[in-house]
Amino acid sequence: MQIIIKKLAPVFLEKEKIAQSDIWNKDISFNKGEKIQLVAPSGSGKTSFVHFLYGMRKDYTGAAFLNDSEISKMNAEQTAAMRSNQMSIVFQDLRLFTEHSAMENIAVKRVLNPFGEDSITEMAERLGIASKLKQHAGICSYGERQRIAIIRALQQPFDFIVLDEPFSHLDEANSKKALALIEEEVVKRGAGIILADLEPVSFYKADRTIHL
Amino acid sequence: MALSFKNIAPFLVIDENKTSRLFSYFGLGIGVLLLLCSVQLYININQLMKERNPKKSNYDFISITKRITDQNMGQDHSFTAADLQDIKSQRFISDATPLLANKFIVSASGGPALPFTTDIFLEAIDNDFIDTIPPSFKWKEGDNVVPIIISSDYLELYNTVFAPSRDLPQISQNTVGALMLELECSGVFGTKIFKGNIVALSDRINSVIVPKNFLEWANRSIANLPSGNATRVYIKTTDANNVAFLDYLQSKDYQVNKDKTRFGRVKQVLQAVVSGLGIFAILVILLAMMLFSFYLQLMIARSKDNLQLLLTLGYSPGWLSNTVSKKWVPVYVTIIVVALTATQAFQYFFQQGFLNGRDDLSPYIHWTILAIAFILIILCIGVNYRLIKRALFNL
Repeated sequence: MQIIIKKLAPVFLEKEKIAQSDIWNKDISFNKGEKIQLVAPSGSGKTSFVHFLYGMRKDYTGAAFLNDSEISKMNAEQTAAMRSNQMSIVFQDLRLFTEHSAMENIAVKRVLNPFGEDSITEMAERLGIASKLKQHAGICSYGERQRIAIIRALQQPFDFIVLDEPFSHLDEANSKKALALIEEEVVKRGAGIILADLEPVSFYKADRTIHL
Repeated sequence: MALSFKNIAPFLVIDENKTSRLFSYFGLGIGVLLLLCSVQLYININQLMKERNPKKSNYDFISITKRITDQNMGQDHSFTAADLQDIKSQRFISDATPLLANKFIVSASGGPALPFTTDIFLEAIDNDFIDTIPPSFKWKEGDNVVPIIISSDYLELYNTVFAPSRDLPQISQNTVGALMLELECSGVFGTKIFKGNIVALSDRINSVIVPKNFLEWANRSIANLPSGNATRVYIKTTDANNVAFLDYLQSKDYQVNKDKTRFGRVKQVLQAVVSGLGIFAILVILLAMMLFSFYLQLMIARSKDNLQLLLTLGYSPGWLSNTVSKKWVPVYVTIIVVALTATQAFQYFFQQGFLNGRDDLSPYIHWTILAIAFILIILCIGVNYRLIKRALFNL
């Protein structure tokens, strides 16, 4: 299982930024089981890149493939199958149902395509949000919401997990706990991690660091 | 735990606009009930009208003429070959044939046994149209005896009116065949006398019928005229009360025995009323479905953010459309089954109450009603599914 990028470049990004990047307009691939760190300063198109991989946007030239399937050419059903089975994600803007409890947010993902035994409560305890499970996500702090989104992303099978600034509102101790949990789950699946952040994450031991 | 509507229900705004949803259910129920009842009534009308008009064969035989009015008196009222062709080409007319008439003067006398003389007329028609054809109904040139078939009404008139007034003996149906009338046919080529033998009585054709080849020969040999166009045409139809048949006759201004088509005329009016009711019912159903579609669109618009997020999380749009639309399947089925039950109750009370349990009408609904109800269920579910699917794929 591979993510293959071929000459990918957002149509809206300045040419100078594309020229300086290690990813834009280059041929590059990510392998299953690999830990990738993507360092991307503001405005370099980090979130756009994540959205391109997840099949949410198509405003780019070049192509991105998940194995043999070109992501931009997948139909709605194929995209849904990819999202529920092959690629999991933690969005920078989290995308939670704010009117619903933390538990409902996680459970609605889990029930779609559950992976392993139900361990939502244990995970919540490990990340220190067990007491927030019944609380509406909308009234949780941003850090708590980040942890809800991380636990949600770990409920399904995947070959890659894409994390877009997953620890931006967490202190180092909580970030380490979250990363440890993510890495454990990734090992269970033999999957790869693509962690994108503004700066290198010091406690994340990546196999490759790529600058966007 | 299998994935089901229950899992996504909290993320949809379903319970708002309850009033418009309930109104659409109510409207749908009323519309379906009206439609089913009007179709059942339509079937009832056909059933009752048919039963009141028993037929001896599978066909009705009706004679038609062109209407003679104050304005067109004196004009030619015969049917041309084109008229006849047009009549025959109608799908509700199985066959049609002209009634040929004599072009010479004919008088009949009863001989010594029945001392009377009267002018009469002769007509001829294809044998297929005559209900009672004995083997003796044949004539060939040189034969002096001409077989005749007369309307049984004529014998009745003779026995009840004519014979008593002239002190003549009455004749039974069995003895009429023993009589030999004398037929005196006079035209430009002189007078010829034949023996006329009544070989059968007809309940169908109100005339004095002779073999066609005799009449054609006589017109030519006695009157020196071709038989020409007929002024009467006999029509063979499977149902004289067929509304399309009556509409055709009306459009052509052909005159027909009103009694034979009386039920058809009543049926024409009743069917028009019931059809109007059916169209109204379809409009009500359409309105109810439109109201429900507005409710669905509103529900999807209000749940748009959540639905979008479900799709982002990996929910398949196909599964979502299926699952959301399935939610209303029991509702549609219930509404239509209730309407079906009410139609059955209506039919039962119609048959038992209004018609005092007449056995020519079933107290149970016709299978067509079940089929329509089934089609309506499929239609409602299909429309609902397409609507939701389109809305979801457009998110």
